[in-house]
Amino acid sequence: MASMAQAISGSKRELYNTYLSAMFELKKHLKRRRLLIIAAIAILVPLLFYISIPDTATQFATTSLNFINVLIAITAAMFGGDAISGEFEKKTALMSFPTPQKRVSIMAGKYIAALESTFIMVLLFYGVMTLQIIQLYGTTAIPVELWQSMLIAILYSTSAVSIVFLYSSFFKRSISATILGFVTLMMILPIISAVLSTTEVEPWFIVTYSAGLISNIVGEGGFMMGPGRAFGAAFEPSLGTGLIVMFTYTIIGFIGSMAIANRRNVE
Amino acid sequence: MEYAIETKNLVKRFNHFTALDGISLQIEKGDIIGYVGPNGAGKTTTIKILTTLINPTSGFAYINGIDVSKRSTETLRDIGALIEVPGIYDYLTPNEMLTYFGKVYRMNNDEIKRRMKETLGLVRLSDWENKKIGSFSTGMQRRLAIARAIFHNPNVLILDEPVLGLDPKGIKDIRELMRYFNSQGITIFLSSHLLSEVAEVCTKIIFLDEGRVTAFEAIEDIINKNKSTEITIKLLKSLSEEEVNKLSSIEQIKTAKAENDTIRITFDGKPETSYQILSRMISFGYEIVTYNIEVTELEDYYISIMGDEKGVN
Repeated sequence: MASMAQAISGSKRELYNTYLSAMFELKKHLKRRRLLIIAAIAILVPLLFYISIPDTATQFATTSLNFINVLIAITAAMFGGDAISGEFEKKTALMSFPTPQKRVSIMAGKYIAALESTFIMVLLFYGVMTLQIIQLYGTTAIPVELWQSMLIAILYSTSAVSIVFLYSSFFKRSISATILGFVTLMMILPIISAVLSTTEVEPWFIVTYSAGLISNIVGEGGFMMGPGRAFGAAFEPSLGTGLIVMFTYTIIGFIGSMAIANRRNVE
Repeated sequence: MEYAIETKNLVKRFNHFTALDGISLQIEKGDIIGYVGPNGAGKTTTIKILTTLINPTSGFAYINGIDVSKRSTETLRDIGALIEVPGIYDYLTPNEMLTYFGKVYRMNNDEIKRRMKETLGLVRLSDWENKKIGSFSTGMQRRLAIARAIFHNPNVLILDEPVLGLDPKGIKDIRELMRYFNSQGITIFLSSHLLSEVAEVCTKIIFLDEGRVTAFEAIEDIINKNKSTEITIKLLKSLSEEEVNKLSSIEQIKTAKAENDTIRITFDGKPETSYQILSRMISFGYEIVTYNIEVTELEDYYISIMGDEKGVN
């Protein structure tokens, strides 16, 4: 009984440490102006879609949503890339680790801060896009599926952050984790999907393929894998599988990164 | 007896390299101990084990009687540590950084404010509380890292090469801080490869070499044990044979060796004996230009136990 009470109090303590770490990390993001810079991108980029205004709100949303994957990749790479590797590379771990908190609590806090930052950017992007639709097509024209799209984008951003965190946990240099994280989300995984598509294998297990749901769910335009139809068959991710794949990437990336970071030696 | 720091047969291996080879230490509360050895001796490895940054391959480490491997968060509450040259959050201010660490140590806002004032005052950074750390000099950053280490009022302070890369003023500042902290009852474990630095502030020294403790002694004992028994005397002119023979009549002199205008004598090492020898020589009419007792430096002792090839500095 006493040991259970101890375990509960220990868990509460570590949860609070995770909260402290998340708040500290967010403060660092703010101070380094990363949040502001990426927020500016999230706000300004949708404005570019004024250049060519489609006939319907749904078409406008689908066109704008082509950018959301790029925004999520940038945000995940920027906020997750140096979260773990930076502690080791810059030796701030020598100051933050010998404190009465578990290393996992510190890392989980960093993960939550990266998620929060990414969510803020996704919400900002959707917010601006919704305002644009209201201004161009009226309130009633807002596609109902836009909310579903936003929820999928949020789930996709958690898997993107998890992938970058996994890199951050084993790379020595933050820049390597940041660049490789971005390249994985923007090039490596989409290329693998494209190659599989050309061989008529549906890349259902590739998370960037599942991310097609973000715009697919809104409708019109459809989702086409690969650089173009000429390269192979076109597939569309199914909602259920896509969500499971995103969730799986999130969990594996998160647990993997925590396990590696916890075992990593501070040199 | 509960020690501030205790290790039992501590071993750490990195693949085939043995960094620590059975280190056993007992450091009493309130002591200020120097942990000295050449680069690669295992000093930082010991400190990383004590601060739970790495786990030992075998053996035990205790802080205030608590096993650091088993109850790490508990032991880390009592420790303040400055390890190597830690990275510092250069885009934050000391206030922001220390507030975070204060909360980690479950200090309330009033306590954080009070300690902020006290510690920043101690390390002379009060005027810099809300300035970006990135604009600080190396010495200021190191002082801030010390402020962070003592912010939660630890009773054990572990310092690993705290003066590394600092200018003489910075070194003096850190030295004074260490003396002050020790006067407040804090146990200080100071690791350094600078023997002179350790000798300035510590009362005892542990010599470490190739992962093993080669000596653990009080500085006073080392000095007494290695007290010089040799005097070199320079005279105005070379001695005649009669003058050399006359030296043997001074009973306090054990041996005497003359060469041209220089005499080297050995005696019992006592200051009063040295005075008596000098008085007798003057009364015999020796024209003494210089009279030097050879001083055995701590460095000589270090070399005697470590071997010539190991650098002191």
